Amino acid sequence: MRVNEKCVGCGQCTAFCKQDAIVVKGNAYITDKCTNCGICAFYCPLKAIEAEK
Amino acid sequence: MKINVIGAGLGGLLSAASLAIEGHEIEVFERLPITGGRFTNIEYHGFSLSTGALHMIPHGSTGPLGNLLKKIGADVEIVPCEPMAMIRIPANGSNNYKSGFKDISFNQFGSQFSMWNRLKLAILLVTTRRWPPKNISFENWIRKYLNEDSAHKTANSFCGWALSLTNRDVPAEEAFEIFENLYRYGGTGIPMGGCKGVTDALVEIIRSNGGKIHTNTEVSRIIVENNTARGVIADGNKHYSDVVISNIGHPFTRDLYDSYTINNAYEEKIDNVKSSAGIKTCLAADEPLIGHNGILLTPYCRRVNGINEVTNTDPNLAPPGKHLVMAHQSVRQEKIDKLEEEIEIGLQDLKEVFPNKKYEVILTQSYYDGWPVNRASSGSDIGNTTPINSLYVVGDGAKGKGGIEVEGVALGVMNTLDIIKQQHR
Ligand SMILES: Cc1cc2nc3c(=O)[nH]c(=O)nc-3n(C[C@H](O)[C@H](O)[C@H](O)COP(=O)(O)OP(=O)(O)OC[C@H]3O[C@@H](n4cnc5c(N)ncnc54)[C@H](O)[C@@H]3O)c2cc1C
Ligand code: SF4
Ligand code: SF4
Repeated sequence: MRVNEKCVGCGQCTAFCKQDAIVVKGNAYITDKCTNCGICAFYCPLKAIEAEK
Repeated sequence: MKINVIGAGLGGLLSAASLAIEGHEIEVFERLPITGGRFTNIEYHGFSLSTGALHMIPHGSTGPLGNLLKKIGADVEIVPCEPMAMIRIPANGSNNYKSGFKDISFNQFGSQFSMWNRLKLAILLVTTRRWPPKNISFENWIRKYLNEDSAHKTANSFCGWALSLTNRDVPAEEAFEIFENLYRYGGTGIPMGGCKGVTDALVEIIRSNGGKIHTNTEVSRIIVENNTARGVIADGNKHYSDVVISNIGHPFTRDLYDSYTINNAYEEKIDNVKSSAGIKTCLAADEPLIGHNGILLTPYCRRVNGINEVTNTDPNLAPPGKHLVMAHQSVRQEKIDKLEEEIEIGLQDLKEVFPNKKYEVILTQSYYDGWPVNRASSGSDIGNTTPINSLYVVGDGAKGKGGIEVEGVALGVMNTLDIIKQQHR
């Protein structure tokens, strides 16, 4: 998964990631714990998380 | 009547619940899998953090939101903050908290000033409540009448907490309207269950009155014919209705329809809407850091404006024996590309506010632009109607005058309900 420039750092995604794979500080950073399950993307109010191309 | 609502934030849910009770056929469309927008809980490491708000209702159970919730029978308990607010001031006239501090009550605010300024403050508070100042910022008003550094700092932390703005950006008129409302409606309260306690109660009212809420369903277009809203397109399907209520602010609403006649005055107002930005830092502690359920204003911090500890009201917002502490700092527009630095300064502030205390930072959350603290900051609201008939905007991009945060949302919703009643008999 990839975080695009629309991210504001609201932290909503990280609360829904079961792998605890997202670190948030002014912006979301997806760590290598990510399993690409895609759940976080649904919860982002700004459509800032996309599947990697 | 059939009414479609775009967005299940507080504004959308309040409107939908009120109209569902009146017997209208309601459908709410929400893009996210959850309802509540920036006013609900997110569970993180056992703590009930929030999607936005600090679990506080500015005028408690007796303000516009409290009264509207009561009127529509929402099952929410709002506990008053006692004290409403304390102000942390440095010891021995210092300019920071490093060499100690004491907390004084918000009501004793004036006691920090010299005798002469105390007298002036008393007179000013009385006269300005009656004759509010016009065309001057709160900052300049204080400079003119009461040039005390502590007054500047306190006003700034109050504006930062309540509006996520600096006192430079708040018109004095608006600031006094807020003080007036604190007298009129009463002080702050915390809903049991946090923000979610409120928005879930509204969802319950909508559902039990036959209304439908579709989550994971984004509205992609508003159907407009003859300059009148006829419904919405969601998930590729057309949903016709007599009225459309949008909870997503004027600019985003405007992007959802084509208009053949451009209303320049409205377009110009939209361009002038300014959102406010902020950072919320969530802390976990074993022992209370504040010890009461009110706001701790921190005027002598570099960034942090105020802090609360909601577990003093509802212990269930944290795991057993733990406390949830949330600090808010407003962010000036020009600092938005330096958010990490701003967060860092805020964290340093907290170390000075809570020396020798043990706590853990659970999460830092920042808000601006499309997901801000307020879609329209105080003074830049543009009302609930649009140039399109039967299309109304509610929420914190269309608040009522003088109402801060969710109180303004409630005032705007009530105004919209009145207009709908008049226009669509
Ligand atoms: C850090 C912070 C602290 C705050 N603290 C407080 C506080 O303590 N007290 C207080 O009173 N206020 C506080 N506020 C402000 C308060 O949270 C907001 O004013 C309020 O929640 C706004 O509600 P709303 O209904 O206007 O909008 P929102 O909550 O933004 O709701 C809009 C909804 O519409 C949905 N949506 C958007 N586009 C579409 C579409 N095309 N189709 C379908 N759905 C869509 C969104 O997903 C969202 O759910 C705070 C805000 C922040 C960020
Ligand atoms: S939910 Fe979206 S905007 Fe918020 S931090 Fe995560 S990626 Fe960024
Ligand atoms: S894709 Fe799944 S595992 Fe990866 S960050 Fe998102 S929620 Fe977590």
